[in-house]
Amino acid sequence: MSNFPDPIRAGLERGWKVLGGAHGALPEKITCDVAIVGSGAGAGITAELLTQAGLAVVIVEEGPLKSSSDFRQRESEAYPSLYQESASRKTADKAISILQGRCVGGSTTVNWTSSFRTPDTTLRFWQERLGLTDYSREGLAPYFEQAERRLHIAPWLTTPNENNALLQRGAQKLGIAASVIARNVKGCWNLGSCGMGCPTNAKQSMLVTTIPAALDKGATLLVETRAEHLVLGGGKVQALRCVAVQANGAPVVAGQVSTTIVARHFVLAGGAINSPAVLLRSKAPDPHARLGARTFLHPVVMSAAVLEQRVEGWAGAPQSIYTDHFMDTQPVDGPMGFKLEAPPLHPVIMATTMPGYGQPHADMLAKFPHTHVLLALLRDGFHPQAPGGQVKLRSDGSAVLDYPLTDFVMEGARRALLAMAEIQFASGAREVLPVHERSHPYTSWDTARSAIAALPMKPLLTKVVSAHVMGGCAMAATEAQGVVRADGGHWQIENLSVHDGSLFPTSVGANPQLSIYGIVNRLAQGLAQRLTGRAVALG
Amino acid sequence: MQRRSLLKLGLVSGAVLALAGGAAVLLQPGLVQGRLSPSARELFTSLGRAILQGTLPADAQARKRALAGMVERIDLLAANLPPTVQAELSQLLGLLCTAPGRLGLAGLVPAWQDASEAQVQAALDGMRFSTLALRQQAYQALHEIVGGAYFSDESAWPSVGYPGPMIL
Repeated sequence: MSNFPDPIRAGLERGWKVLGGAHGALPEKITCDVAIVGSGAGAGITAELLTQAGLAVVIVEEGPLKSSSDFRQRESEAYPSLYQESASRKTADKAISILQGRCVGGSTTVNWTSSFRTPDTTLRFWQERLGLTDYSREGLAPYFEQAERRLHIAPWLTTPNENNALLQRGAQKLGIAASVIARNVKGCWNLGSCGMGCPTNAKQSMLVTTIPAALDKGATLLVETRAEHLVLGGGKVQALRCVAVQANGAPVVAGQVSTTIVARHFVLAGGAINSPAVLLRSKAPDPHARLGARTFLHPVVMSAAVLEQRVEGWAGAPQSIYTDHFMDTQPVDGPMGFKLEAPPLHPVIMATTMPGYGQPHADMLAKFPHTHVLLALLRDGFHPQAPGGQVKLRSDGSAVLDYPLTDFVMEGARRALLAMAEIQFASGAREVLPVHERSHPYTSWDTARSAIAALPMKPLLTKVVSAHVMGGCAMAATEAQGVVRADGGHWQIENLSVHDGSLFPTSVGANPQLSIYGIVNRLAQGLAQRLTGRAVALG
Repeated sequence: MQRRSLLKLGLVSGAVLALAGGAAVLLQPGLVQGRLSPSARELFTSLGRAILQGTLPADAQARKRALAGMVERIDLLAANLPPTVQAELSQLLGLLCTAPGRLGLAGLVPAWQDASEAQVQAALDGMRFSTLALRQQAYQALHEIVGGAYFSDESAWPSVGYPGPMIL
């Protein structure tokens, strides 16, 4: 048990309305103004604004309510309790591992705090190519400013940890611009445990900001409760059927609806993959076959390096330095651009990510304290050969993302492995290992360059991961192009909005949390205005 | 030699069917009510010895304890997986625990508990670099489960120089 105040336990003691799991049985029927599916980035912002407008809100979260007293900075506890599928979610062909939150606060409870406004290049593409004319930098700026203020988003001015400093030094040596990342933290202890839930409540996730604000204003939170399907009729959502689930997501009582929520309006904010899946299970109208399509991942490839000095990638703020050099120096719709960052390193992630076994694997892991890792986020969705994936339902109704890794994507992955290795040697690496089943630790840039050029860039040989799931309920200027309108309202269903990362019509090209906060901030203010006639803003 | 390759391919096709949910009834499931079957426990002990060779404690008793702890953690991990993932894993483990499945999918002749580390490592290499996605997927799953379960416990941290989280 940590010695920090726990705002969640304090709220529960004050009488917050939380039901589900150990918090109390779900009532058979709940009536409210707005039901929100999910409790992550989009759901949190929406809940705060709608409760501020005086609406009675119910939030439905599949995962558990965990808080700082539970966050003991251990992978063994965090992955099974806070992540989708115990942090082992995979794409259909199992070639990509997906990290996505499943707890109150969603991915914001476990993300690494990197905060970027939606890049101008992306917004220009949305405006000029997709006709989303409202999505201008100037138009969104006030909404980003509010979100940044609300969540204490500011550049990380503390000295970067060695894992990030190496990116800075390597880039500088090669004449590549690298910058400081903004983070949503307040009084951060610089522990490096963000991915396991913040034990000090410094991370300004939805768990400690908007969700408590909504609960203080009377919202109801249902936890360990899955939104199963919407009941549709007359072009509207009539109700939302939910089931109580166990820790592993299995229904508490198979085949039984636990609660039915009747509301004036419904907001889907369960995150990409899950939001389209609710619509698929509901057999929502999809006249142009857009639902679940164009789901993006920012496919990530990694490069590990061994330094003479200690790196201790587990300690200190993760991802405090980045470079967009490899996105900014080429056209958005050309060969894939990528963003480089330096992730946190912990034993489970390290052991499962590093290829191979036996003595060579043991030798690599023995150098863990001296290991530095870079990752490259590939910007998908801007080129016809990077169309993302398709969310589908398995026979039991659970969601799976089919995301083929095309040769076009893998060509970008090869360039990313080359770029990372070059930077790592420039920063003084003794050896560099591109994370690939066929690679070996290389001791010079020349050797690495020719070896990477010859690697078979195939799925299941190249390690590919993702922590950014976007798209699948794309907003679009015309009905034929997407699932929802530019204001988040569903094209065919009158009282339904989508307010999460599944809105994005391409990938963002940056860690998506602030894009979701800022854009949903505008959408939710609009929704509050339409439902109540009242103007509200993020507190 | 050619005949043997054909047989292998037939078996793997059968495995594809099994994993797709078709012929699964022929197998003893690897998970029983979400928990590891006794033969799945033997499988993971053998895989742990091979995958973690060089990391496991040198002392025989300590190594045995470390592997037993890992198997317990895999059991817990499996219990926490969603039903669809449990079903897939159960079929994979069930298949690997039959002689034809072990030969067809892993290319391993001796039983898991009798195979040497080198034999299991050769089998792992066969899967890892196979041209069949199913065998590659099986390798990736086993690698992730073993590595994840072993290093999730603090008893394994000294072997990689990780001091553990800062105590607050």
